[in-house]
Amino acid sequence: MSDSDADVLDQLAGLSPDSPLAALRRQRPDVVAHMQGSDDAIFRPKDDGGFVPAERAAAALQVALGLRDEILIAHYRERLHALDPSETLAERVSDGEVSRDKRWATIIAHVDRVTKEPESAQPSDLQALSAVGLSDHAIVSLSQLIAYVNFQSRVLAGLRMLREAR
Amino acid sequence: MSKPMRDFTKGELEWSPWIEPVDLDKATAGQRDALKITPSSRAVGAYSLVLAHDPEALSERSPLYNGIMFGAKGLPRAERELGAVTASRINGCAYCASVHAKRFVDLTKEPEVMARIHADGVEAKLDTRRRAIVDYAAKLTRDPASIGAADLAPLRAQGLSDLEVLDLTHAVAMFGWANRLMQSLGAPLPEGSETGSAAL
Repeated sequence: MSDSDADVLDQLAGLSPDSPLAALRRQRPDVVAHMQGSDDAIFRPKDDGGFVPAERAAAALQVALGLRDEILIAHYRERLHALDPSETLAERVSDGEVSRDKRWATIIAHVDRVTKEPESAQPSDLQALSAVGLSDHAIVSLSQLIAYVNFQSRVLAGLRMLREAR
Repeated sequence: MSKPMRDFTKGELEWSPWIEPVDLDKATAGQRDALKITPSSRAVGAYSLVLAHDPEALSERSPLYNGIMFGAKGLPRAERELGAVTASRINGCAYCASVHAKRFVDLTKEPEVMARIHADGVEAKLDTRRRAIVDYAAKLTRDPASIGAADLAPLRAQGLSDLEVLDLTHAVAMFGWANRLMQSLGAPLPEGSETGSAAL
């Protein structure tokens, strides 16, 4: 990825390095650094535990669709395209349609459930993920990813509010 | 959608995982390293040991959490906790709501505020500054796409600076993360259970 040195959140929020809001974010340097670090750990892990980068981008796209976050939808579509030029996974992230691929359908169901009704998750959801081949590492990575994109969308919403009010 | 918040005065809930936690005796170097920094100073609990299955994500998330909830200056810590309680209540995370209600009370010595939220939810009667904070936290939790410039006015009217608004946004967003992790990887143990422990 060519943008690995840039701050993803600044890019998504449309903040140039010399903007007042970029400076405001830098009053919390730990937060800026570890937000970017989390993005790298979730989307460019050294060890993906069998939950591969293209699947990660596709799952993030599904979270963004669930949140109707146009900026994140475009961002994860682009990332998915870069990782999966054949568009195999992109075709499976088709709004509302249940995928015929069992592994992918199970992942997507989990993404939607944890994004939209986090309190409805059950132990059987993790058993289902395990049954379609996700390791414990992959299951934790998927939970972190779903939770992270939900976090990211809310941070972006707050920055958008501050920018629009200027 | 939101369940009643457990009475925080009864002490903190225990959390039980749905997948096997990492065995500390068999942990890899990366997992041990990730477990060094936990967001609270308590012993390594089941929650951290489950998250250690993905040590790369855990080692970034712990300092991010600490920076957001404990960073110096800016929004008073109690008001970050109020944002955390609001998000947790709406997301139905009884465990998170009880832990952070207790932290709010420890910081403010105002148990009656959390008692009102416990009884009446996020619509509970609050002073105008806390009302503005809870309203923003609730809207951001329920539907981030709906947030716009108009939502800033009530926070500004209560004197919140840009940094304080950013701090509140970070805290509420972090609980959109914490609530989902906690509720998708395990659940609080029934009251009276003795096993397991967790650190947020």
